[in-house]
Amino acid sequence: MNHSPSSDISAATSPQAQAATGRRPGTGIGKAMTIPGQVVSVLVLVLPLLVALYMSFTDWSPTRGSLFDASFVGFENYSELLVYDTRFLYAVLRTALISIICLSLEFAFGLGLAVLFMREFRGKSLLFSAFLTPMMILPVVVGYIFWMLFQSNGPINQILEFLFGAQACVEWFRSAPFAVTAVIITEVWHWTPLFFLILLSGLNSVPENPVRAAVILGASPRQVFWRVVLPMLKPVIIVAFVIRSMEIIKLFDEVFMLTRGGPGSSTETISLYIYKLAFNDFQLAYGAAAAFIVLIGSLVLVHMLLAPVRDQLLDGGR
Amino acid sequence: MLTKRLSLVQAVLMAMALVVVLFPVFWILMTAIKPPTDWNASPAIWFPSQPTLINFKTLFDPAAIREYGVGGVSQAATDAVFGSILASVTATAISVAIGLFSAIGISRYGNGSKSTPLVILSGRMFPPAAIAVPFVIMFSTIGLIDSFTGLIAIYVAVTLPFSTWMIKSFVDDLPREIEEAAMMDGRSRIGAHLTVTIPLIKGGLFATTMFVFILNWSEFMFALVLSYTNVSTIPVQLAKYVTATAGTLYGVQAALAVLAMVPLVIVGYLIQSHLARGMTFGAIKQ
Repeated sequence: MNHSPSSDISAATSPQAQAATGRRPGTGIGKAMTIPGQVVSVLVLVLPLLVALYMSFTDWSPTRGSLFDASFVGFENYSELLVYDTRFLYAVLRTALISIICLSLEFAFGLGLAVLFMREFRGKSLLFSAFLTPMMILPVVVGYIFWMLFQSNGPINQILEFLFGAQACVEWFRSAPFAVTAVIITEVWHWTPLFFLILLSGLNSVPENPVRAAVILGASPRQVFWRVVLPMLKPVIIVAFVIRSMEIIKLFDEVFMLTRGGPGSSTETISLYIYKLAFNDFQLAYGAAAAFIVLIGSLVLVHMLLAPVRDQLLDGGR
Repeated sequence: MLTKRLSLVQAVLMAMALVVVLFPVFWILMTAIKPPTDWNASPAIWFPSQPTLINFKTLFDPAAIREYGVGGVSQAATDAVFGSILASVTATAISVAIGLFSAIGISRYGNGSKSTPLVILSGRMFPPAAIAVPFVIMFSTIGLIDSFTGLIAIYVAVTLPFSTWMIKSFVDDLPREIEEAAMMDGRSRIGAHLTVTIPLIKGGLFATTMFVFILNWSEFMFALVLSYTNVSTIPVQLAKYVTATAGTLYGVQAALAVLAMVPLVIVGYLIQSHLARGMTFGAIKQ
């Protein structure tokens, strides 16, 4: 990757280059400059995390007075969650299912659109902006818009009725499979533009020479795309998947506006379940334990995904 | 790649995609100008019978809607609009200012440690619902709950990784030699950064500011759990309109939604060439 002109992901600093530079002068100033950022991170991110970690080992709830008086219960919350709590298990599986379906669709649509944008046509820059619009709208509003669209007397049912007759109309929020479908459609509409944007910038920086060479050697356009172009896009594709996975694991706003987890708990994502535990049922300690299980799970997952492109992503162009 | 013209089939596909992308936007705009009689008509009305701005007016004067026979709208959205502006603008300014110094520090004097960014990225993965829990506890102890100070502090912390990493990617693009030349001329390191580095990344700084503003303006969950009466933001108010006493206030909600999304879409178009960089923590630079 070090000499790769193939993508706009910048190559990582090689260890040799770092060794050659050695310890630069002015390191003290550099450290001082990062202090405010570190202070904020510690105060507002690390400290709450530690509080949450401590809390997850207690049976604390706000009705029982101070956190420090709560009794220590060891791993009880964790074992309860992992062994007995089927609602948690379903929330995890549901989030995983929604994530996999959404990411696949977003990737497919995003790639298709990006490939179309490699062609010549008029009004390209205007259309480019138009296609990016969904990702600029705030999630709560997207959830609200689709909540309106999916009403039983809403436009989506009208269109279905027009196309397939009255029996095609669906009470979207009354049955589990349709409610999940509505969530997926909303999410795909909202975030396909991000895949489109990232993949298009990847496609634009594919070098011409390998493509020309393949064409001269008699490869069909299809072969050129699948065998030459797509492999070169791999780092970009992985970055897109990692970024989106990190966000979709936390899926909350849209679902909150669309279904609030209903009907029953059939569209409850992990975030929504934790939110309900903590702020509807006041089982704060239990909710914190759930959050740490999720954190560890997603850390493992994302770092596995990230392994091949870690340097490019994290060094962001040294 | 070898460029060709769009074929007819491809043009049709793209037109269909465009309709799908723009229809929801069309719908919210239309709903925002529907009079109350059209709000929940069955079947739904696509084009308002009598376009009106009454929904927008109701946001700032709840009594306005009564002339249409709709009662029980008790809450004005005025506080939410000002709350959103106050929280997002302040938090964005602080986040970018801190991020700027961290970015220069890491980019120019960093020791190439791989663990810091990993910690930051990991923080992004933690479900906000769970971070919100200790915040609620800590903030109620020190009296910051339901206060803008508390909300802004969280917004700064949550967006700091984005501002730091996005600005860092712009600083990285700048050759070191430019600053070194300034130092040869007798400027101190800090002086060189202030007079050379920062002016040269002006464009990037603007893009980052706008990007962080988008994040803050969109934030929902922290505002939801940390606000009761003093603090309100547009997303929280939008959720509240569903449970308001008058039933579901479709038109008014839509008006508020339009008010919330218009600034973001404008800002988004302004920095669209930098969106990928922001979203990917500076990994993709186009």
